[in-house]
Amino acid sequence: MKAELHEISVKFGTFCAVNNVSLSFAPGEIHALVGENGAGKSTAMSVLFGLNTDYQGNIFINDQLRRWKSPADAISAGIGMVHQHFMLQETMSVLENVILCSEPVNKLGFVNFAAAAKTVQNLIDSYDLQIDQTQKVGELSVGQRQAVEILKLLYRRSEFLILDEPTAVLTPNEKEELFQSLSNFKASGKSIILITHKIDEVMMIADKVSVMRSGNLISSKLLKNTSKNEIQQNIIGGKLPKPIKRKQMHPKDIGFEMQKVIIPGLATGGKPISLKVYLGEIVGIAGVSGNGQGSLVEAIVGIRNILSGNMLLSNENISDQDVSARRKIGLSYIPEDRQSVGLALDASVLENSCVSQMRNKQFSNGYFFNLQHLFKFSEQLVSEYDIRVGSVKSKVRTMSGGNKQKLVVARELEQKKQLVIAENPTWGVDIGAINKIHQELIKMRDMGHAILLVSNEIEEIMGLSDRIHVMANGQLSESLNSDQVTANKLGELMLSRNEPALSEKLEMMRP
Amino acid sequence: MTQRLYSLLAASILLLIIFASLIWLADADFFKSITAFFKGAFGGRKYAYLLVTISRAALITGMAIAALIAFRAGLFNIGGEGQLVIGGLASAFVAINLPFGGPAGIFLVLLAGMIAAGVWAMLAGIMKLWLGVPILVGTLLLNYPARYIASYFVSHPLRDIASGMPQTHLIEKSLWLPLLPGTRLDIGFIFILFIFCIVLIYCYRTVGGYEAKMTGLSIDFANASGLKTKKISLKTLALSGAIAGLVGAIAVLGIHHRFTDGMLVQPLYAWTGIVAALMVSLIPWAVLPAGFFFAAIHSGASGMERTADVPKEIAIIVQGMIILFVASKVPTAFNQNIGSGK
Repeated sequence: MKAELHEISVKFGTFCAVNNVSLSFAPGEIHALVGENGAGKSTAMSVLFGLNTDYQGNIFINDQLRRWKSPADAISAGIGMVHQHFMLQETMSVLENVILCSEPVNKLGFVNFAAAAKTVQNLIDSYDLQIDQTQKVGELSVGQRQAVEILKLLYRRSEFLILDEPTAVLTPNEKEELFQSLSNFKASGKSIILITHKIDEVMMIADKVSVMRSGNLISSKLLKNTSKNEIQQNIIGGKLPKPIKRKQMHPKDIGFEMQKVIIPGLATGGKPISLKVYLGEIVGIAGVSGNGQGSLVEAIVGIRNILSGNMLLSNENISDQDVSARRKIGLSYIPEDRQSVGLALDASVLENSCVSQMRNKQFSNGYFFNLQHLFKFSEQLVSEYDIRVGSVKSKVRTMSGGNKQKLVVARELEQKKQLVIAENPTWGVDIGAINKIHQELIKMRDMGHAILLVSNEIEEIMGLSDRIHVMANGQLSESLNSDQVTANKLGELMLSRNEPALSEKLEMMRP
Repeated sequence: MTQRLYSLLAASILLLIIFASLIWLADADFFKSITAFFKGAFGGRKYAYLLVTISRAALITGMAIAALIAFRAGLFNIGGEGQLVIGGLASAFVAINLPFGGPAGIFLVLLAGMIAAGVWAMLAGIMKLWLGVPILVGTLLLNYPARYIASYFVSHPLRDIASGMPQTHLIEKSLWLPLLPGTRLDIGFIFILFIFCIVLIYCYRTVGGYEAKMTGLSIDFANASGLKTKKISLKTLALSGAIAGLVGAIAVLGIHHRFTDGMLVQPLYAWTGIVAALMVSLIPWAVLPAGFFFAAIHSGASGMERTADVPKEIAIIVQGMIILFVASKVPTAFNQNIGSGK
C-alpha cells in the first residue's frame, strides 16, 4: 500500500504543530520519522491515522484522495497504529484483546472464539511472534504487550503500521525480537513507520529517514544517502552538545546507606541488599526493567515497607519513617512514571511544582499558601530549566513528554536534598531534554549530593555513574567502578539470569 | 470547548422540546405554564415563592458543597443522605434536651449536627483504610442504617405521640433560626453562604484544600510526594460529612422545627446536591448557581401545578432528563488519569 501526506499543516490555536509537511511511504519499506519531542512527528502521524481531522492538506492512499472522519476509517483502509502507551485490557486474554471490537460473530451474535483463535495463531506463527494467546495480558512483559498491540493491527489486516516510540520500554532482547518482527513485516510487503528519537535504531533498521524539527520537515532521504551525523544535526538544528564535564571528586562521607535490607516482593531467597551512596557521587543501578529496581526504589522512598534491615540517611535511621519524614530529612525522588506518580496531569504547572514543599515556611504558613511566592517559585523553575509551557497556570497535561520530565526533575532537584533518587529520568524524552537532565544531575553531584540513578539504558548508566551496581532477579551485584567496566560486561551481568525474574511474578500477585 | 458548547446547546433545545411536548400532553397552555413556572420559582406576593426557592436552594447547595469537597479529593462520597439524616437527628436530639436557648444554644445544636455527621462520614473512611471497602460502597451502604436509625428514634424513644406522626416533639422556640425581618425566610441560607465562602477559600487558597485536590487527581503522585494521603482522606470525609450535618441541622432548626421521619430523605436534597456538583464538573464557585437552578425547578413546578394545572411531575421529568445528560459526563469527571499523548 502506498500512502502520501501532501502539504499537511496542523494548527493548535495560533501554534503551528505541523507546517506544510509532505511525506510519502512505500510498501515494503521501514520509514523512520525522527525528531525531538514536540517536533510534530506524532501530530503528523495522528493525521494519517485519523485521530486528528482538523488539518489542511491532503492524504493520498494508493493515489486516491482520502479524508478520514475518525481512526475507524483509517483502520478499515488498512492503517494501524501502536501508541507509546499501550491500550490493552489487562484482565483479558491476549486473544480477547486482539479481537476486541472486530470479533467474528455468528448470526445469533455469539463470538466464534475457535475461529478467532485459529486466525490469531496463524498470525503468531507466520510472523514468529513470541506470545501465547491464552495468557492474560496482565501477566505479560512489556515487550510481549507490545507484540499484542502489533498483533491487533495484523488481525485487522493493516498494511500500514505506525509505531510510536516502540523501543522506549523494551529490553535489548525484546528490541531485537521487535526488529526481527518488523523485518518480517517488511518482507511481506507491509509499510512501517517508526516514530523515534533513537538514532542508533534508525541506523540499524530503517530504509528511509525523515527528520522533523519544530513542525517542519527538515529532510527525507534514503538511509544510504545520509549519515548518522547529518541526521543528528538535523534533529537538534545546531551543533552536537559536548560530552558533559564532571569535577574530580573524592567522596568520603556516606550520604545514604542500606544495611542488609530485605524488601518484600523481591524474591532473593531472603538475600538482603546492602548499598552505599557517598556524597558527591552518582551510583548507577543498571538492569533490565522488572528485576526489582522498582521495589528497591519504593522501599528507599518509603512507599513500600521493608521486612528487616536499616536505612541510614544523614546518619538517621529512616526505616520506619513515612515518605514526608524522609523527604524532610533529605530525600528527593524523580519517579519513572511521570504520568501518574511524578505529576498530577490535571493540575497546573504551579500546583505540580510546589507539591512537596507546600508546608515549608516560604510557601505557606501551614494553613494558607503564599500565592505570590508560589508564582515566583514556579516561574523561576520554568525559566531555569527551560520548560516550554504557555504559563504556570497551564495544565501539565498540555505539555510534551520532555517538558513534563524537566518539570519533575526541576521540582525535585531544586529542593537540594542530600539524596536524589532518579529512576529512568530520561525515559521517552528528546535529546535536548536528556542533555539538560544529565547536566543537572552531574551538577548536583559536583555540588556534593548523593545520587542514586536507576536506569534501563546502559549508555546513561555508563555515562553518568561513578560506581555501578547491576540488579538482576532481585539481587544487587557488587559495585563496579564505571571507568573499569565495559558495556559488554554490564550486559552480561544484566542478563546472567535469563528466565523471567521471580520478583516479576510476585509483583503481579501483589494486590 | 466549542464542542462542549454545541452539546450544551443541543441538550437545551432537546430539553425544551421535551418540556413543550409534555405540557402539550398534559393538555395545558404552553405560555401560561411557562409564566406559572417562573412565577412559582421567583415571584409571589412579596416574592414569597422566591424566598421558598432560596430556602430550598440553601439546602441543595449545602449538599452540593459537601459532595464537591469529597469528590475533588477522589472520594466518591455518595452517602450525603445518611450524613444529612444523622446530622438532622443529632441536632434535633440535642435541641430537645438542651436546657437553654438563644444564639449559644443554636450554635451548640448546629455543632452537634456537624460532629455527628462528620463522624458518620468518617466511618466509611475507616472501613476503606482498615477493611478495604471502597468509599463508594461504604458511603452508599451507610445511608440505610442512618435512615432506619432515625426512623427508630422518631418512632419510639423521641416520638411525639400526641402528634400521631413519627416525629419528635417541637423544638423550643428560642432555638428556632430567626427569620429575616418582614419575611418568612429563616437565616439558614446565610449559614450556607458563609460555608460556601469558606469552601471557596479552602479550595483556592489553603494548603489543606490543595493537598486534597492533589490526592484526588492522582493518589500515587500524592503518596510519592510525601502527602499523608490517609489522613487527608479521613479529614476530607469528615469535612464533607460535617457540612451535610450542618444542612440537616439547618433544616431542623429553620424549616421544620422538629425531626419528622423521611423529611430529609424524600425531597432528595443529597442526591440533587450530588447532581448539582457533577453538573458543574466540580468547579467550586459554580455549585451556588447550580443549587439555585435545581431549587428553582422544584418551586417552579409547584407553581405550575397550582396555577396552570400542569402536573408537578413534568418538571421532575425534565430534571431527570438533565440528570441523564449529566450522567453521561460523569465518567470523565472520575477518570482523569487516562492520558492522551505523552
